[in-house]
Parts: sequence; structure tokens; C-alpha cells
Amino acid sequence: MKRREFVRHGVTGLAALAPGLPQLPWASRSAPWLLVPMDDAQSDHLKAYGLAFRLLERGGRAEWFLNYRGGAFLMPADGATSRDAALAGVTTEPLDDGRLVEIRGEIGGGNMDAVPLEKAPKVAVYAPPNAAPWDDAVTMALNYAGIKFQKIWDPEVVAQGLRSYDWLHLHHEDFTGQYSKFFLNYAGAPWLVEMVEQNRSMAKRLGFPSVPAEKQAVAVAIARYVERGGFLFAMCTATETLDLALAADGVDIAAAYADGSPMDPGATAAMRWDRALAFQGARLEMSPTIPVYSDIDGHQVNSPDRRQPLGSFTLFNFSAKIDPVATMLVQNHRQVIPDFYGLTTSFTRRRLKPSLTVLAEEPGAPWVKYIHGERGQGTWTFLGGHDPEDPQHQIGDAPTDLSLHPHSPGYRLILNNVLFPAAKKKELKT
Amino acid sequence: MAFPLRTGILAFLVVVAAPPATVAQQGTMPRAFELERRGNYEAAADAYREVLRRAPGDISALLGLERVLLPLNRSADILPEARAALATDPTSAALHAVALRAWAAADQPDSMRAVAERWARLVPGDEAPYREWGAAALAGRRREAALEAYRQGRKRLGRSDVLAAEMAQLAIADGDYATAAREWVPAVRRLPGYRITAVATLGHAPAIKRDEILRILSAEPDFTARRLESELRVKWGDPLGGLSSLERGLGPSRGQAVEALRALVDQLRMLRSPDALLAQGRALELIAARLPAEQASRVRLEAAQAYAAAGDRDAARKMLDGLADDRSTPSAVSSGAAGALVTVLIGEGKLSEAGRRLAELRPQMSGEEHAELRRSLVAAYVRQGELDRADSTLGRDSTIEGFALAGWIRLYRGDLKGAMGAFKSAGPYAGDRADATHRTMMLALLQPIEADSLPPLGAALLQLEQGDTTAAVAGLEGVAQRLPAAKGGAEIRLLAGRLSKARGDPELAERLYRAAASTDAPATAPAAELALAELLLDRQRTEDAIDQLEHLILTYPESALVPQARRTLDQARGAVPRT
Repeated sequence: MKRREFVRHGVTGLAALAPGLPQLPWASRSAPWLLVPMDDAQSDHLKAYGLAFRLLERGGRAEWFLNYRGGAFLMPADGATSRDAALAGVTTEPLDDGRLVEIRGEIGGGNMDAVPLEKAPKVAVYAPPNAAPWDDAVTMALNYAGIKFQKIWDPEVVAQGLRSYDWLHLHHEDFTGQYSKFFLNYAGAPWLVEMVEQNRSMAKRLGFPSVPAEKQAVAVAIARYVERGGFLFAMCTATETLDLALAADGVDIAAAYADGSPMDPGATAAMRWDRALAFQGARLEMSPTIPVYSDIDGHQVNSPDRRQPLGSFTLFNFSAKIDPVATMLVQNHRQVIPDFYGLTTSFTRRRLKPSLTVLAEEPGAPWVKYIHGERGQGTWTFLGGHDPEDPQHQIGDAPTDLSLHPHSPGYRLILNNVLFPAAKKKELKT
Repeated sequence: MAFPLRTGILAFLVVVAAPPATVAQQGTMPRAFELERRGNYEAAADAYREVLRRAPGDISALLGLERVLLPLNRSADILPEARAALATDPTSAALHAVALRAWAAADQPDSMRAVAERWARLVPGDEAPYREWGAAALAGRRREAALEAYRQGRKRLGRSDVLAAEMAQLAIADGDYATAAREWVPAVRRLPGYRITAVATLGHAPAIKRDEILRILSAEPDFTARRLESELRVKWGDPLGGLSSLERGLGPSRGQAVEALRALVDQLRMLRSPDALLAQGRALELIAARLPAEQASRVRLEAAQAYAAAGDRDAARKMLDGLADDRSTPSAVSSGAAGALVTVLIGEGKLSEAGRRLAELRPQMSGEEHAELRRSLVAAYVRQGELDRADSTLGRDSTIEGFALAGWIRLYRGDLKGAMGAFKSAGPYAGDRADATHRTMMLALLQPIEADSLPPLGAALLQLEQGDTTAAVAGLEGVAQRLPAAKGGAEIRLLAGRLSKARGDPELAERLYRAAASTDAPATAPAAELALAELLLDRQRTEDAIDQLEHLILTYPESALVPQARRTLDQARGAVPRT
């Protein structure tokens, strides 16, 4: 499998950009660099990503020291960055040139690498206009870290609006158009009534005969965005339903309440998995009352008979110099992370395409948690589960307050994905 | 101990006369139990089988075999033994239940049905075959099969109220709370012991479903439904509604009414809200009305105490009327009633009468009860500003509660040194946690002030205690103007600012906070800046608040308030939800 590679970076590039330091109480008076440690010395891991992002937004540059102190960042010790770090409560360590040379030597000699971060990616979050900011782990992480993003939805996607963005996030959207299969079990609930009405009117407005048809068109547009070089990150049920919608080309996989006709009884056999990003050969759930789509999800949280208990998942170690992309995506101060449920919690191993990279798994379990792959010029990453700090999330639960979880290793995985498109690319070697 | 010869011979004869199988079983069953207890399930299964070979109908051995096969994941292996056992006793409910579970484990739903139907034919009119059939299906995670079993049972027995508890539990598992509510009513009617399970399971219904459940229950005409409705209302935070539901259902049966009301009172005792206390008082009053006079007096006292705690002094007085002075009332009750009456009098501000009553009660009460009431009276005198009477009533009380009260009396007189000494002697354990925090706040306010005595400050704080916040703020501001910022001026302004904000005067609060946020008082300034930022946020001046918080964080990076400032900054920017 081909893999995009990244340039290893010398000190000179950043050194040229380091501005003079103002004499401010919170700024380092002598050291030209700030090391942002991402191991247990860090007081707010999540905001550290925002610090790096805002530096890039201001036109500055940073470096990501993969596998060094939990995936530390190197930044110029300019007044704006020092002030930003002080306000955000991010731990920084002043660094002089001598110490930096020592660190680079350490990085050069171990399974570590230094990746330059050059440009803040333009971030889009796919969500309906009335979506609460607290019902999506990525939106919460971006808000908490202070990373700017735009919310987009079906009209923008269908009108090829994705072209303006480097990074796209999907969360618990149901691309099969079945309202998360809650239609029958939550009939009459105000939030469901609103969701159905909103989706039906949008499908009508965009000229589609039904919500499933419209969502499939959106899924295809998202897949094309990836093919053209976009970075896609999806969580929860968006992972599974995106692939189901892509594979269901010409196959009715939606229940009668969604499109007026029952699901094709031969749907499982008729799926075209070559169109999907990550999965293959899945068996579809035929019952409209069971809020489960297929056997892609290993945990089946909404099926009492099949529901599996939560365990922990382990991040893989990759070679930082040979496999920097996978290494970036798993930077963390913890290797083992408690699992968390979502409408899609995990991905069954036997349903994975062989070409993808598994980033995290539950050892011994028949499922994995975190996967990554390429399509055309772009890449996609799927993380199962809804909210890393609310493992048993229920509809109507109080929102997660990330200021209570500033070291969340699960949320770090999300933010690794946001910074990953900022890394400088290099032409393929092989 | 000697073994009597005759008994020994008799025992020998009994053993010799017993059938061989029974003799062998007497040894094998204990061995099987022991093997099972030790977790040696394979060997235990062999031992149980050995017993069953000799006595196929031995239910203990069959159940033991079933238990040990489960952890071995071989539950279906019991089928031959289950069949043999049924042949010995074709009507046994226990044996049929084992057979049903075995077929369920073998994933043979048709055989389950056949066993259940055969059993049902043997015991017409009995719902047990259907209940066990459904339970076995559920154990095998076959919800639809369980539902079919229960429906079949209702159809065959021709009654819609049988198997209602099973149907209710199935509906609960499906999240169908409305059906569960409809089923629980007949289930509890038939077997009142189900009430606790019904309330526990329905109690978990999400808020969105609760109105529907209450509608379903209120449409039912009888006491069973009223009681369920009542307990659910209390569980869902409506104690007065719960009491009212129960009252509507109370019939002429005194025993039934008292039992139901007592259960409600027990439920209400878990809650401490004023409504719950009021409902508790009312329920106790209803109980007292249904009891003979000698039993009623104690309950009336409890009702009075609940009413007094809820702040309903009129109702409390009504309950106490006659109790304290009635010679026929048991002495423990009359002294309790007199104590409660003193509490009511203090609450009404009739301190002289309360003092007189208290003095009369001295011989009847324990020292501790009397001291507690005396301190309540002292606190009331303090609130009325009668500091001399408070002091004389307190006397030489050397308890930590006494020191705390003495501290307040000295503070309001302006004796700052004396107040600090008394508060320190009281320590953190007098009163509840809020009292301790209040004293600590006062110590923090007083400590930077150099003067030993400052009567205007005491007067201002007394005005605050008496609820005259406007006068207190003016007095505090006047005191602050005469003190340097670092010597108490900033702290007093900060307190005045907080009071102004609470009083609804944000302009004055802002002015006072800004004055308190003086760089000359670095110990007070971060708290003043944080308070100012929170005030600005409340007034929708988000950008000003953000500037203020950034100033605080960057100017006082070592302050203990910086984490709170960062959290408030996150909230101001919308980075975390507002809580």
C-alpha cells in the first residue's frame, strides 16, 4: 500500500521565523523556543492542539515531535504564542538552541521524527443547522481547543461546497436516511419529529424523491471529496452508514418509513462493496425496529441480545520515520484507552478491507476501534464510538464539559486528526 | 460421650432396612454439593447424575445438575435426566421448569412449546406452565417467544390479568413504559407485593414518558392505581402531588389507609425539600386522625416537627395545640411537643414567650435538648439585634456552638479581636458546613484589618444579618473608605460588591468590584477581577468579561483562582457548556 510521506525537518526553517521576544511577564525572556510537552507534564493536552493551530493561523510554523514526550510540539517563543499558552493554561518549557540540538539528536536516534506543521487546515463539520454543539465529540473538542471551523450540511455538500475545506468531520449522521433507526422506537419524541421534518424538507428542496436517496448522494459527494485529496474523519455511526450508503448503489437498504418501500430482502447480497471506503461483505440488519444497521459494528449497543460489554483499546506503535501518518494519528500519552459506546462502537475485523491500516484494537476481541485508509488523493480515518468521556452516552444526557477532562486520551485521537492535514507533505518515495 | 447400646442397634437396623439406593444417595448428595461448592463442576455433574440414576425424580439432584452444567456451558445436556424425572412425576412444576430451560438451552423452541402445552393440559387453570415457558424463552434471549408464551397463557386461561407482571417486565425491557404501567396495575392488584417492583421499574421511565404513565394510572379507578401513582409522583419530585393522589384513593379501611400513609412517609423521609416536608407533615396528620388518641399524640408531634421544618408554623401550631399542656399525653411526647412549640415561637419572633416556655421546660428536658433550644433563642436575639439579651441568654456556654455564637455577638458589637478569637475557638465543627464556611469567610474579611475594634463594621454586618442589605452595603462602603486597600479596604469592598450584585444593583456592584481589584491589594484583586468578569458575563458584556479574565490570568498567574478564571473564560468563549 502506498503511503504519503512527510519531510523530516531541520532546525533552520523555524529558526528563521522566530521573532524577537517582547518583555512580557508571561513570555520567556531568554529562550527562543517553547517546547509543548505532551506527556504527563502537560496541564492541558487538548488545548495544546489549539495553541499549535492558532500559531499556524497567525502564519507561524511549528513542529510535531512524533513519539517524543507524548508527541510534543515545538513553537517559537514569540509574545503571541507565550500569551496564548498562558491564557489557555498549556504547559510550555523554554528551550534554547543548545537543548534543541540535543533533542533533535535524541529524535534522530530513536523511533521518533520531527514533522513540520505549516498551514492551518480549513475545517468543516458536517451537521444539521440546529445541531447542538454538545452532541458531537469533535465539535466539543474543536470548541474546547479553540480551533475554528465551519458547519456545513447537505446543501453545501451537494453544491460541491466541500472543495473549500481541507478537513471534513462527520459524526452520528445516518447516511442510510433512516434517522438512526430510531423512527419507530422514539415515535413522537420532539427531537425525532424535528429531525424527520428537517431531513424530509431538505430532500424535497434538493430535488430528491426521499431522504435515503438524498443522503446517498451526499455520501457519494463526500467520497469524491476524499478522492480529490480531502481529509475525512468520521466517528460513531457516520462511519458505518457512510460505507453502507456508498455500497448500496441501486439497492434499497432503507425501511419503508424512510422511503415508502420496504428494504430489499436480497440487499445483503446485492451490496457493491468496491464502492465503500473501509468495509466489505457485511450482513445487513433487516428489522426496521432494531436500531442496528449491520454486523460491521462489533458492539451492537442498541440490540439487547447482541450487545457486547466495553473493554479497552490499545493504540499500535508505528515506525515514526517510515510511517509518519499512522504515527501522527496515534500520538498520545496513554497506549491503552477505555472504550466508549456509540451507535457504531467498533469495527468487526472480518468486515474490514485488507488495504486499510488498523490504528487501535481491543486485543483478543473480534473488533478494532480506529482505522485509517486512502482513497484517490485523500485519506479517511474512522473512530468508533460517540464520546470518549461519556462511555454510555444516552440521548438527553448532560453535555460533556471538556474542562473536566483536559487530559482525555480519547479526545487526543480526534485532535491528532485535525492537526494531521497541517503537516507538510513530500512527494512519494515509492 | 458413650454411645447407648440400644440406640446403636436401632440405628444399625434402620440402615440395614433402608433401600440400597437411599443409602448410597445419603453419601453422594453431600459429595455432589461439596464438589459444586469447590467449583469442580465436572465431578459434581457426575455425582448428581449418579444420584439421578438411582432416583430419577430427585428434584434436588436435578436442580444441582442444572446448576453445574450452566458454567460448563452444557445446559442442554440435562435433557435425558429431565425426561426421566418427568416420567416419575408428570405434574411437577419444578421438573417441567427444568425441562423447559433445558429445551431453551438446546435452542429447540418447538420442544419448549410442546413441554409447556403438555404441562398446561395436566394443570388446567394454572398459569405456571406459561410463566415458566416465557421465563425459559427469556433466558435464551427469545423475547418474541416469551411474549407468545404469555399471550398463549392469557388466551387459554381466558383472563387478561394473568401473567401481568411478566408482561410488564417484558414491556420495561423494551422501553415501552405505557404498556408496562397498564400491566403492573392488574399484577399488583393480584399480588400487592409486586408494588415495590412496579414502582422501581416504572420509576426509571425517562421524563418524556412520565405524563403518559401518570395518565394511564389515573384512569384506573381503584386504590392500587392511586398508590402506584402516588409513589411514582414522589419518586419523580412531586411529593405534594403524590400525597394528593394517595388521599384521593383512601377508603374507609383504617388499617389499609394507615399502612399506605406510613409507606409514603417513609418514602418522603428520604427527601429534604420543603414540599417533601410539608407532604410528610400532612401525611402524618392524616395518620394521626386515624389513630386512637393515645397513639395519635406521638404522630401529631412528628407532624408538627415536619411542618415546622417546612416553615409552615401555623400547621405546626395546630398540631401542637393541647399536646404540650395535656396531662394525658405521655411525658416524652409532651416535652417533645413543648420543645417544638419553643421552636415555632422562635420562628414567629415571640422570643420572650419562647424564653419563658424554655425556662419552664428546664426540669423536663435533657441538658443537651435544652442547650440546643437555648442556642436557637440566642441566634434569634442576635438576628433581632438584642445583643445584650443574646449574651446573657448564652451565658458561659463553652461548647464549640457556644463559641461560634459568642463570635457573632462580639463581631456585631465591633469587637474584631474578640470575634476572631471566638471563631478560632469554635473551629470548623460548630454547626453545619455552611456555618463553618461563613465563619471562615468572616475571618478572611477581618484578618487584614489592623484595628481591634471597629463598631461601624460590626453595625454594617449586623444590618446584613437582619436582612437590610442596602444599609449594610452603604455601611461597608463607608468603612472601606477609611481603610487602606491592603488593610481590609479591598476585602470589604469585594463583600459589598457581592451584596450589591445579589441585591440586583449591578452598577454599584461593578463600581465596588473595580475598586476592590486594586493592584495595591494583590491578595484580593484576583477574586475581585473574577467576580467582576462573572458580573459582566451576566450582563451579556462578553467581550469585556473576556478582557477582564485575560487580565486576571496574565497579571496574577500564580493565583489559586486562575483555574476558575480559565474555566469561566472557556464558558465565555463557548468552549465548554455553561453549567
